[in-house]
Amino acid sequence: MKPRHILISFISSCLFLFCCVLNAQDSSDEETQIDTLIYKQKYGLRLGADLGKLARTFIDEDFTGFEITGDYRLTKKLYLAGELGTEERTIRTDFLDVTATGSYFKAGVDYNSYQNWLDMQNMIYFGFRAGVSSFSQTLNTYTVYNTNQYWPTQFSLEEPIETKGLTAIWAELIVGIKAELFSNLFLGLNVQIKRLVSEDEPDGFENLYIPGFNRTFDSGRFGIGFGYNLSYLIPIIKKDKKVAVEKEE
Amino acid sequence: MKFSIIKKIGFVVLILATLTTCERDDICPEDVPTTPRLIIEFYDVSNQETLKNVSNLFIQGIGNELPLTDYSGSTTVNSVELPLKTDENSTSFRFISDYELVDDNDTPNDTSDDIFNGNEDIITINYITENVYVSRACGYKTIYKTVSIQFGAEDISERWIVLAQPLNDNQSIEDETTTHFNFFH
Repeated sequence: MKPRHILISFISSCLFLFCCVLNAQDSSDEETQIDTLIYKQKYGLRLGADLGKLARTFIDEDFTGFEITGDYRLTKKLYLAGELGTEERTIRTDFLDVTATGSYFKAGVDYNSYQNWLDMQNMIYFGFRAGVSSFSQTLNTYTVYNTNQYWPTQFSLEEPIETKGLTAIWAELIVGIKAELFSNLFLGLNVQIKRLVSEDEPDGFENLYIPGFNRTFDSGRFGIGFGYNLSYLIPIIKKDKKVAVEKEE
Repeated sequence: MKFSIIKKIGFVVLILATLTTCERDDICPEDVPTTPRLIIEFYDVSNQETLKNVSNLFIQGIGNELPLTDYSGSTTVNSVELPLKTDENSTSFRFISDYELVDDNDTPNDTSDDIFNGNEDIITINYITENVYVSRACGYKTIYKTVSIQFGAEDISERWIVLAQPLNDNQSIEDETTTHFNFFH
């Protein structure tokens, strides 16, 4: 009775093990047989306009500006990008009234660091730009600053002084997002940190605002800018994106 | 790995944004030199190396109803600071020493018709103005070139200020760090 019992339990445990191994083999087979999904990726030229500048043109009487943005997809993550714009900005304080007018061009690259699902084409990107601006600055008026107010009137400039043909060059870092709202239509937001490389200054004065660079600061050569743009993608070619291949990377 | 790069860049952006936007460069700081005043020191005419006080000095700009706040006839000083007009090329002042008010004609806010005791001299400061850019917040300041001082009374015997001497030839007033003129009395 006893040896028989041992035999049965041995056979059953062997069967059990066999089943387990078989099972395991089954599941590994399943993994290698899974389909690789292929999504079409659109490559092309994306053109847009800055909505922020457009809105500010209507709201702020001291600002008029328009900017066209564009990027072209080079590789899966790299985009060639640029902006072209024109701005007019008046800065008024108690003692100064200055208007800067001009156009600018920025060119560089964007790197998309966002891992998209399926066939989505959103971006969380950072990029680099080199910018150049050609502008003029007009000193509309100024009133001499005098801490002593014994004499009630101070000298005021009556004839505006215009300095033409000024240029500035700067570099900037961009961090931003672009989300596809509808097919091929993107809404983007970005922040730009800028640093002046060179600028022409009017005689005995300075640039308070440089079109494209934004306002300057007393403490240094850094500047900051914001962009809020709507753009449309014109697809030129489509490339395959294999999801399973990407998983292994 | 990629994510940490984004984090780092985000951090730098945040720091820079904070630094650049919190800066107060729209208010002109008090320690920034702007339009200077004319600084005059009073010396003893018989001993020209020593400062000599002027008692109860009263100074009023011609064309202004009020005296200069610091020199309204009750203080004794050996130096004065005078604000000059920035929109004209000359400024005149009445200098009254040993000032004593007798009657203000019931117009305490208008000192031009007051009756007083004291020695009055009228001086005129002539200059050429030049406006110099300071900064975004302070705008422009005026500096004064080729400054000269002229007395209302030509005759020395009628004046208590005997001599007005610039410290340099072709005196200019560009800041308030030094004296510009010495008055001997």
